[in-house]
Amino acid sequence: MKIQFTLNGEARSIEIAVHAKLSDVLRQLGCASVKMGCNEGACGSCAVMLNGRLVNSCLAYAAQADKGIVETVESVGSLDHPHAIQTALVEAGAVQCGYCMPGMIMAAKALFDRNPSPTDEELAIHLDGQLCRCTGYEKIQTALRNVAAAGREQAQ
Amino acid sequence: MKINSYHRPTTLEEAQRILRELGANGLPLAGATSHAFMKGPEEKAAVDLAWIGYDRIERGGSAFVIGANTRVADLQAYHAPGWVLDRVALRFVSQPIRGMTTIGGNVARVFPWNDFPVALLALGAELVIAGDQKVAHAAETYFKGQPARLYQPGDLLVEIHVPVLAPGCGFGYHKETVVNMDFSLLTLAAWMKLEKRTIAAVRVAAGAGLPLPARLTALEGALVGQTVSTETIQAAVAGQLDAVKWKGGDGFSDAYIRQLAKAHLEDVLIEAWQGAKGGAA
Repeated sequence: MKIQFTLNGEARSIEIAVHAKLSDVLRQLGCASVKMGCNEGACGSCAVMLNGRLVNSCLAYAAQADKGIVETVESVGSLDHPHAIQTALVEAGAVQCGYCMPGMIMAAKALFDRNPSPTDEELAIHLDGQLCRCTGYEKIQTALRNVAAAGREQAQ
Repeated sequence: MKINSYHRPTTLEEAQRILRELGANGLPLAGATSHAFMKGPEEKAAVDLAWIGYDRIERGGSAFVIGANTRVADLQAYHAPGWVLDRVALRFVSQPIRGMTTIGGNVARVFPWNDFPVALLALGAELVIAGDQKVAHAAETYFKGQPARLYQPGDLLVEIHVPVLAPGCGFGYHKETVVNMDFSLLTLAAWMKLEKRTIAAVRVAAGAGLPLPARLTALEGALVGQTVSTETIQAAVAGQLDAVKWKGGDGFSDAYIRQLAKAHLEDVLIEAWQGAKGGAA
């Protein structure tokens, strides 16, 4: 079947197998940020935004994205102009192997887009689907707390 | 399991018609997060219910009317006086899964570890199936066995009616897992109505530690009419714990789950009592 959707702001059209998973199709379209960690919705490394919701793309059929909007980390910041979340992660030394980072950034962005100054509890809840095998999470939490603190300052 | 065609109806009637035409080959998609675990060579035609509506929560009189296609993330984000399903949603797997799974998908087919049946049993919810007409089933009837027995070809779950937690009533909910995202080892929920210090009514339900989620009616019977206290609750739990046969699994013995149930039944009832004491929990 043929699906059409908006990927990172760009209209895309692709012929897919009806049972194809969204994660496979996104990688086929060049989104190497979509990592295939567990393939069963446990690790969060394939997390993307589908129609404004954070989802595990390894569990979604690509057909479900037809006529929809998909955002991956390729649409978040750039090397020259990183997003505030990306800057905070780098400054806190929160990135080691980096495999979990695309999903982690998408999960954090999904929260910060709705709530620029989440509490520690809200951060923990909204990142509960993102596993990291390197950092022990402490520096990731520090980085995201810093983003939240900046959000609080801006709100004042 | 593999899907061999994909249908996207935009109305309930269209979805019902397609499912009737497909017969046993039709598979409603209600989030589809469980499909990764459905192995085997079987092929099905997927009918995506995400576009037919029934995807919001509204207050209707003394109950919340929840569309069956409402995502768990929306149950988590919803706040209103007398609303408690956000507490259940928060313990549901993980944020990206909550963004995909629908409450209808979680209750259309029941596994021992499903979260929402336990809470809906305790809250006295009703589940509405749309066929030629809409029929409401009490949660206790709906979850008495596999809900499939209540569905004719093309029938779909469309709404869940959850009573608003009134002042004088409280709700407790516990889900035990090894790590946060795991399938449940034991899920418990309790709803309690107090009149002064007397337990006027109580519903207690369990899942994961039983073959299917169910009410613990012997325990309820031992509590109704009692003056509420920690001691009353402990005595009722101790006296009625073996009225059901607790079931282990995944390396956990029946005796371990029984002990877990003893501790957490007390906790969940005390939580419901505290909520009832303070007004709507």
